[in-house]
Amino acid sequence: MMMPRLRRLCAAISQKAFLAIALSAVLLVSTGCSTLAPPESPSAQFEQTQAETSGRKAPDAVAKEAVKGSSLNDFFPRSVAGYGGYDVVAAQEKTGFAQFKVNEGGENVAMLSINDTSSNPNAATKYESSTRDIQGFPALDIGKNGTGLLVNDRFQVKVQSRSDRFSAEDREAWLQKFDFKGLAKLDN
Amino acid sequence: MSKKPVYTLVDELPNHGLTIISLKALDFAVPGAWNNLTGFVNTIKEVTGETDEALIKEIGDRAITLYNDKSEGYQKALWLYQTVDSASSALGTGMIANKFTENKSFLGLINKLTPKPEKAQSFDLTVKLVVELVAFCQINGIPGDSIGDFLGAVKDYGGESLMRMAALVCYDGLVPLGPSFAEKGLATLKDSKPSDLDHNKTFKGVKELIPGDRDKGKLAFITESFESVQDWMLGFVGDRGLTQDKVVTSLSKAVDLSQDKLEYLGAFLDVGTNYYEHTGVQTLTRRLVERAAAEV
Repeated sequence: MMMPRLRRLCAAISQKAFLAIALSAVLLVSTGCSTLAPPESPSAQFEQTQAETSGRKAPDAVAKEAVKGSSLNDFFPRSVAGYGGYDVVAAQEKTGFAQFKVNEGGENVAMLSINDTSSNPNAATKYESSTRDIQGFPALDIGKNGTGLLVNDRFQVKVQSRSDRFSAEDREAWLQKFDFKGLAKLDN
Repeated sequence: MSKKPVYTLVDELPNHGLTIISLKALDFAVPGAWNNLTGFVNTIKEVTGETDEALIKEIGDRAITLYNDKSEGYQKALWLYQTVDSASSALGTGMIANKFTENKSFLGLINKLTPKPEKAQSFDLTVKLVVELVAFCQINGIPGDSIGDFLGAVKDYGGESLMRMAALVCYDGLVPLGPSFAEKGLATLKDSKPSDLDHNKTFKGVKELIPGDRDKGKLAFITESFESVQDWMLGFVGDRGLTQDKVVTSLSKAVDLSQDKLEYLGAFLDVGTNYYEHTGVQTLTRRLVERAAAEV
């Protein structure tokens, strides 16, 4: 006599248990999705730029009027007094851009660069906030490893540290040795 | 050419797997040179040492803009690295399939990968070297056939670029061709007709970007380039005391020999197929970030 009742009880329990399990599973999935979802990729912030700069209508990365990279090479310092044992090695040369490495004992300690900001005017605009100058040109600290200045509102000259051994003072010492007058004449 | 955004290419670079194992096995040849830097934002932080999020975003935006402009050469460089890897893989597949029927040990197997297709291996080595030169010029912007500039730069190679050259010298030179790999490479080129080159899949894959008028001019360019870099390669091997045995021993220690042959097949395929693309993506991203960080 007990058997059918027990069976019904079991069925009821199992029905309830099933519902409970199903419900908690739904809850788990719905809450789990929000808590267990992978964090957004750090590169997600670049999706808009990717959309704006790819495809057929994408703007050129370098302005038509930008100077030849090779025309910038002559204005870089090849050595700086007090920095014996440092080598200056050509790194990149593209339209509107030239870059040299500064190596000490084979280790890259700094990067020197000149770029024509006609390709990216925002780079020049930031110097409006400059409060100091180097040889009469507005200068800025950029991030924690860069020092730059702007020649004739057009050419950005930068020195960036690539080693803790190359300090802000070192950057300024090297920056002083670029040929700003020669560079200014290029802007015609 | 790859349609993936540059940040996706860098974000998707693996941190483990057989390509990584095989490159790490060469750490003894270029100690500490390579740390397998992956991730786009990570690369910006590592290269510049900057932590300010707004500045990192600005650098990333400029890098993406430069990469997406085809005339800037970065996409061509990527295509070269990818194509030379996938084209040479067919060679590797054939050789491994052949050798597997002989049921050799890992060590014996790699040692056996020496003599048979020497001509194909030699072409492979020389074309890969020229691809490095052309990709270097595309990335760094010096004229496309400037062998002299490349020679100067290769002496200053570090990081993943130095590792790529180590893998080229070891896995495409020393291991399959033996200690006289450079001599064999050059002899093969000098004994070849332009039409021989056109039968080589690796060359055919990348020929459109190799300087020179028709196959004859391209063969001359490859020969001249290889001849010029030969001394650097031999110096690389000599200065570091590299031998075929040392490379094979290091690689066989890195790969678990107790695993079954399929695992091993994958390992060796990866060695032969992906290290150029993997380290090539790392190189072009570094250069791109260096330029972007300078320009913003």
